[in-house]
Amino acid sequence: MGEVILTMKGIDKSFPGVHALDHVDLEVRRGEVHALMGENGAGKSTLMKVLTGIYTRDSGTIIYEGQDVTFHNPKEAQEAGIVIVHQELNMMNHLTVAQNIFIGREFMKGSLIDDQKMNEEARKLFNQLGIDINPAEKMGNLTVGKQQMCEIAKAISHEAKVIIFDEPSAALTESEIEELFKIIRDLRDKQLGIVYISHRMDEIKVITDRVTVMRDGGYVGTLITADCTKDDIINMMVGRVIYEDPKTHSMVAPDAPVVLKVEHLNAGKMVRDVSFELRKGEILGFSGLMGAGRTETARALFGADPKESGDIYVNGSKVEIHSPEDAVKCGIGYLSEDRKRYGIVVGKTVAENSTMASLKDFLKGIFIDRKKENEATNKYIDRLKTKTPSVDQLVVNLSGGNQQKVVIAKWLVKNCDILIFDEPTRGIDVGAKSEIYHLMNELAAEGKSIIMISSEMTEILRMSDRIVVMCEGRKTAEIDIAEATQEKIMHAATLR
Amino acid sequence: MENFKNLPIIKKLGLNRIILVGVLILMYLLFSLGSGRWLGSGDIMNALNMVDYLGFLALGVTFVIATGGIDFSIGPVMVCAGLIAGRLLVTFGWPLWLALIMCVVVGAVFGVFNGILVAYMGLPSFISSMASMMLAKGVGSVFTHVQNSNWPASGEVNSWYKYLVNYNGFPTGLIFLLVIAILCSIIMNKTKIGRYILCIGSNREAVRLSGVDTRRWEALAYVLCGTLAGIAAITYVGVITQVQPGLGDEFNNNAIAACVMGGTSMAGGIASMGGTVIGVLIISLLRVGIQAMGFRPDYQYIITGIIVALAVFADIRSSRRKK
Repeated sequence: MGEVILTMKGIDKSFPGVHALDHVDLEVRRGEVHALMGENGAGKSTLMKVLTGIYTRDSGTIIYEGQDVTFHNPKEAQEAGIVIVHQELNMMNHLTVAQNIFIGREFMKGSLIDDQKMNEEARKLFNQLGIDINPAEKMGNLTVGKQQMCEIAKAISHEAKVIIFDEPSAALTESEIEELFKIIRDLRDKQLGIVYISHRMDEIKVITDRVTVMRDGGYVGTLITADCTKDDIINMMVGRVIYEDPKTHSMVAPDAPVVLKVEHLNAGKMVRDVSFELRKGEILGFSGLMGAGRTETARALFGADPKESGDIYVNGSKVEIHSPEDAVKCGIGYLSEDRKRYGIVVGKTVAENSTMASLKDFLKGIFIDRKKENEATNKYIDRLKTKTPSVDQLVVNLSGGNQQKVVIAKWLVKNCDILIFDEPTRGIDVGAKSEIYHLMNELAAEGKSIIMISSEMTEILRMSDRIVVMCEGRKTAEIDIAEATQEKIMHAATLR
Repeated sequence: MENFKNLPIIKKLGLNRIILVGVLILMYLLFSLGSGRWLGSGDIMNALNMVDYLGFLALGVTFVIATGGIDFSIGPVMVCAGLIAGRLLVTFGWPLWLALIMCVVVGAVFGVFNGILVAYMGLPSFISSMASMMLAKGVGSVFTHVQNSNWPASGEVNSWYKYLVNYNGFPTGLIFLLVIAILCSIIMNKTKIGRYILCIGSNREAVRLSGVDTRRWEALAYVLCGTLAGIAAITYVGVITQVQPGLGDEFNNNAIAACVMGGTSMAGGIASMGGTVIGVLIISLLRVGIQAMGFRPDYQYIITGIIVALAVFADIRSSRRKK
């Protein structure tokens, strides 16, 4: 490790209603790989966005190469030598590798683009990195791993001094990861500072020199990787005080029947051989880190995405679910994590959204029975305490929490017995949040069965009767609430 | 302005529609002033001739635009239906009533075709309707051996179909159009079909994830559109009598322009059949008015173009504000 190249000190950032970063420190030296770790929502990305000028910090200082700096946009940061290699690659598949690397600063011959020169320059970069990619190849023909190498080459071509890797290994195969690590070590030996964001505990031990842990927007500490164990890091990540009372024991009756059984579900890379059971009146928590495959599992189960294989049983009998229509017929309702895109039709009214799934119950001949529709809508406005001036209010004008209630109303009007709540309290204020918790408990007590996907550890521990933990598309643990601890869950969530 | 907007009468009728009617009246005054005489019943009847078939086309395409799609085949489909039915009537000796039904059938078949391509096979409506536009032109030409289809002229045997457009000076076609327009409005606002069409236009994926077979309802919008293009063919031959192969493109543009002027959002989700009818009236009056003022008819294209651009701009502005 060489001298310090980048110091972030006391970085503070608030968004309306959220204290996203609370005086966070980070120090990166030349020639080190520095891991940045934390649960979902710990503030890692926000910190990197503050560094590269996507967000402006409320307070704190950034010292880069001895200078006090503030970048106003990623381009300024890039010109100064700080580059992010994103998890989701921003590449244009129909352009060649070289064209992608030099996009926006093409070599010109007169007023024409000099592709030959760009290919030569790209080849030089690849030689420097010791990788073998043809610069004239179309980007879309490369594997994800190779595409990532191109991103790195692009970063190098910007004379980067600090490179931030945001979960670079998530989409790579074992051998590609080996190659990536070789390149990262090379870059380290060339005295670059490297920030490595990852959830994979094993990788942290292999590739990084130091590790900084964040939790709930705060700075927890920085350790020398060689001196600490995996458990040390996990304890730092989850060691929070839980203010709300976690559930101590399952509320499900011991003889409650199984209403939903999923066996060996497979769908793409994110759902591998997932099996579980859901019992009547149970809240089954799905925990895991970002990209664990929980939403994908729910969508495959609901028929929203195609599945490759797997059997689904509802109330003991096998069902074929190929579309959301089939799922709804089986009495399954799905609240999406992305409410605005998948949950509600924002340009339509509360009534129209509430009866969306069950419109055929509100027909009088060929006409929609508005009176009946309004009655049903009003019933659930009262029941869920939805704040809306009338049933004819456009949903776009409601707050996040009330929009969520409209989605819940949609499935209650349809009288679904199995409800999948995917991040039910995301983007909702604290008051509405506890209302939704309350409602979920009520529904479970009435005999509805709920699958709750949540990235918030406190939410999982407070609501679930049983917890399924997933990691990279596989179920890694199933824990009864009586035995569940943050450490156990986090351990299973980083099992790879 | 806010107070004005909140008046009950304004709310009930809709500000946009009131403005549109205002524009219509203003245009009438302007053209009368510009041509130095009041536009008389002759001019109006002239304009109304076009209103009928353009109106049916525009009502139909309103369903498609409400889903967020587009249909460029309606004009050629209408002409194709007129050609085929005309040849069946004149050359093959089909009875007139059957030929008229054939018009609607041809339109509906193209509607089904478009619906399958877009909703079930996932083609962009822009492209698939281009394809069926070409098909309609080709089929019409091939079926008639690139000859005009001459429907019976007034006074000849089998010419009662003309009464559907004009009964001795009485605009029956307009009544016909208004009845169908009210029907369309009911379908759009009071039935499950319309509800799902509008919701699909607003957020297709959310509707699908509510367990609704979105493909079926989206396809149905195209079928309605095609069927109305078939009905348009009846009034088209009622006015034109002599149908030429290879025509139809400009009717698309006018019909779609009428929709957009009437306040139907090109992004889907918002549609007004009443607005569409007023849009058709504006476009038709424009054509007659411009001629009455002594300009060449080509000028109507320029003015229509400008109005459409402004209407779409206003639509985009208002939807941005919503976000």
